[in-house]
Amino acid sequence: MRSADALRDGIRQVNRAPVVLACVFALTLLTALPFSLIMRDSLRAHLGSSMAADRAALGVDHQWWTEFTAQAGPLGRTFATTIIGFAAVLDNLSTLVDAESRTPAILWLGAGYLLLWLFLSGGILDRYARARPTRTHEFFAACGIYFIRFLRLAPFIALTYYALFAYVHPLLFGTLYDNLTRDVTVERTAFLWRLALYVIFGSMLALASIVFDYAKVRAVVEDRRSMIGALAAGQRFVRRNAGAVAGLFLLNGFMFAGVLMLYAFVAPGAGWNGPLMWAGFVISQMYLLARLWVRLVFFASETALFQGRLAHAGYVANAAAPLLEPPVVERLIAPQSPR
Amino acid sequence: MILRRNLTLSVPALLLMLAPVAAQGLSPRNANYTIDVRLDPKARTLIGRETLVWTNITSASTAELQFHLYYNGWRNADSTWMREHSLTTWWGQVGARRTEDFAAIDVSSVRLTGGAIAAVDLTRGMRFIAPDDGNADDRTVMAVALPAPVGPGQSITLEVAWTAKIPRPFARTGAIGNYFFIAQWFPKIGVLDPAGQWNCHQFHVGTEFFADYGVYDVRMTVPRGWPLAATGRERARTDNADGTTTHRYYQEDVHDFAWTTSPDFIELRDRFEHAGLPSVDMRVMLQPEHAAQAARHFDATRAALRLYGEWIGPYPYGHITIVDPVWQSETDGMEYPTLFTAGTRWLMPREDTYFEDTVIHEVGHQWWYAMVGTNEFEDAWMDEGINQYVNARAMADAFPDGREVPRFFGGFVPWALEDVRWDRVIFGDYLAGYRRGATTDVPSTVSFRYWPRTSTPNTYAKPALWLHTLERALGWTTMQQILSTFFERWKFKHPRPGDLFQVANEISRRDLTPFFDQVYRGSATFDYGVESVSSEEASEADDDVFRSHIVVRRHGDGIFPVTILVTLGNGEQRRFAWDGGGRWHRVVVEHASRAVSAQVDPDQTLLLDTNFTNNSFTTEPKSARAATKWAATWMVWLQDQLLTWAFFI
Repeated sequence: MRSADALRDGIRQVNRAPVVLACVFALTLLTALPFSLIMRDSLRAHLGSSMAADRAALGVDHQWWTEFTAQAGPLGRTFATTIIGFAAVLDNLSTLVDAESRTPAILWLGAGYLLLWLFLSGGILDRYARARPTRTHEFFAACGIYFIRFLRLAPFIALTYYALFAYVHPLLFGTLYDNLTRDVTVERTAFLWRLALYVIFGSMLALASIVFDYAKVRAVVEDRRSMIGALAAGQRFVRRNAGAVAGLFLLNGFMFAGVLMLYAFVAPGAGWNGPLMWAGFVISQMYLLARLWVRLVFFASETALFQGRLAHAGYVANAAAPLLEPPVVERLIAPQSPR
Repeated sequence: MILRRNLTLSVPALLLMLAPVAAQGLSPRNANYTIDVRLDPKARTLIGRETLVWTNITSASTAELQFHLYYNGWRNADSTWMREHSLTTWWGQVGARRTEDFAAIDVSSVRLTGGAIAAVDLTRGMRFIAPDDGNADDRTVMAVALPAPVGPGQSITLEVAWTAKIPRPFARTGAIGNYFFIAQWFPKIGVLDPAGQWNCHQFHVGTEFFADYGVYDVRMTVPRGWPLAATGRERARTDNADGTTTHRYYQEDVHDFAWTTSPDFIELRDRFEHAGLPSVDMRVMLQPEHAAQAARHFDATRAALRLYGEWIGPYPYGHITIVDPVWQSETDGMEYPTLFTAGTRWLMPREDTYFEDTVIHEVGHQWWYAMVGTNEFEDAWMDEGINQYVNARAMADAFPDGREVPRFFGGFVPWALEDVRWDRVIFGDYLAGYRRGATTDVPSTVSFRYWPRTSTPNTYAKPALWLHTLERALGWTTMQQILSTFFERWKFKHPRPGDLFQVANEISRRDLTPFFDQVYRGSATFDYGVESVSSEEASEADDDVFRSHIVVRRHGDGIFPVTILVTLGNGEQRRFAWDGGGRWHRVVVEHASRAVSAQVDPDQTLLLDTNFTNNSFTTEPKSARAATKWAATWMVWLQDQLLTWAFFI
């Protein structure tokens, strides 16, 4: 199977399972909602009966804004002007690749959210691997089964990313970047160096992410119990199918970039009020939905690529399998089912 | 040999040396320098010799001379500058500097060669002193004992030879790559105050400089083909046999001299012309990667020359040089007489008027620093604060359409926030910055003793805000007269804060002392707020009349007379004056309509109010709507943040 076929297959799988997309979207929304309500209360309390609220309701009242952040706690201080429109996306991406930190409250929330993702990812991969609808209880049963296994994988994931952000990033963007640009007096040249380092660091992140993704895919598709084994198998698959894996990652990456570019043009501004404000909110949610869709396509297309590239033929799940068997068993039962 | 040839003095310089007091000019011209310096770009050294003709213009005698040796502030980690630096968050990575990045200035000889005292070699009498903190490791002030006192009105001529190691830029001077920005680079005599005491402070991290006026005649020898710009106008250029070129620059009535050279500079010229103001030749030394931004340099300079010229007084020098520093040189945004550094970026969207702001600020320093020669060690706010105030006003006039432009990805990628417009109070006066340091120092404290981390709010933001407050209270016409009178009276002199206050009282015809006591001699904070607006029927007999009660509070220590604006249900508005003295004040309005809102200081005259949100109260608040709107916006940011992290799972 070629990368493009895997991508096509992945898109098909994600589109055929809109409930999964709705589920992860709801998860993201509900995770963010409590903190947003806290933020809303803080903003409302600060505005109180002030007429500054009239101005803030219509657009940016910068004086009120700076007063609020000056008096707010750590969470309130995240209420920066960079939350507006597409700047929010740039802010988050920039914070990530520049390894800048967030306030502890946001970090803990993120940790909880990632844990939920880890829980759901087993069910999601299982669903895509089976290439057929699964019932809710089957979905969550798969989530439960693989969550325990993925929790054993989690330390490897955490340690790898920790090493990348805590050791490799300072090495690249501290020591190496400083040495490379020490006597550079042309900003464009320095930017190109930084861009090159972003590519290097991004490639490392991508490689780690790919290996962990395929470890999860193999754990699910092949019903692997050993996560060390899954990790080794994942990296073996990546190594032996490097071109196709990289190609697929790039294709997915282009889709992600496309979503971002589109949002850059349609992101709502602060001046959208009344019904327009809600229209802007819906546009933003559509963008987030598109991002989630891309993330799920990553999962689904990686699963498709793995399944399409297995050594033995007929490794195809049977859509009619009555019992919740591991995907590999399903495929052995009904080798001719089209995907 | 080469050095000796280059040290040959010019005829004008000799005449200058012979003259006990320089010809009458705009300034007293009591510290006149003829300098010959050679740059070795490879070794990053300067070899220099200066002839200083110094006149004692005080009524006291002195038997000692004191010199600033600023480069020694970065000689090692033990200097006062470096010790103070460790308390700040400025000048990033200074602590990680390599040995070769540090600086030094070593005076090899000081000779008295003429004037009121017989010629004598003073080299043996040189010693380092630390008048501010007693730091024995600080070598930024050199004292030289004289064999006899120099009396009032007497002049002496000194010859000083020195070598200097140019640092990787510290505090806006130094070298990086083949870009050299040379400032605070020569042994510079301090200021003898009227009481006969030397005002020659050590170099401090939070403050700048102070010097007497004079004539500078400077020859700089640099590699041939390297464009050079400096304080003053170029009078001669000589190609030497050794592949170098000597540039001679000359400027009268200035108190400092800076220069820059780099083979990469693109030199462009334009001219400022405006009815009623003297013409000014503008020259920009531009980096090639900023070639497309040349017009922005000239436009901003032109705007500043026009507005400062009209508001404060004419620019008398006839020329000005704009230096566009190289990336990461940390020499951007600095003023020197007739020359300043701007500082743009490779990607600099039109909406980002921070660039124009910097240019206007540095041009503004030609008035508040170069011409009005305040003591930046002790009264840093007098140049920075006054200039910040005028600068913000000029920005509001010339470039009001700026936006906030945050930068991402290592600071390289700008993104203009269309909805966050440039605002005179927030961006111009740095109101948000002031709040952070509102009580950390009493502004009348000598500036170099400010707490280093918050010296900026006290030096820039607070004075800009209280001057802007005065503008709103007295009116711009009066304020403009105060500034122009102060300028006219004190240009080419060394005024102190009291001199400005005296002019303000005189022009406004008010005793503003209580205000200055609070904003300058104290650290009081101001915060007025409306506590409540309530209404009731005025009497049982007449239910058509309502009695509305408006309670206003003074939460801060500072006192300022304020206006209270009450808006009634029928749209009618009533204004009440309150002297602002008590802790609270009640306004009662009887009217057929209930009061629906109230505002204390509705015109925001008092810009030092640290909490303006509580200045108003409405009976129909829209806080829920506003909070929902912004919480929803914040939620999208948070969701996006979560999704960014989800990539890894």
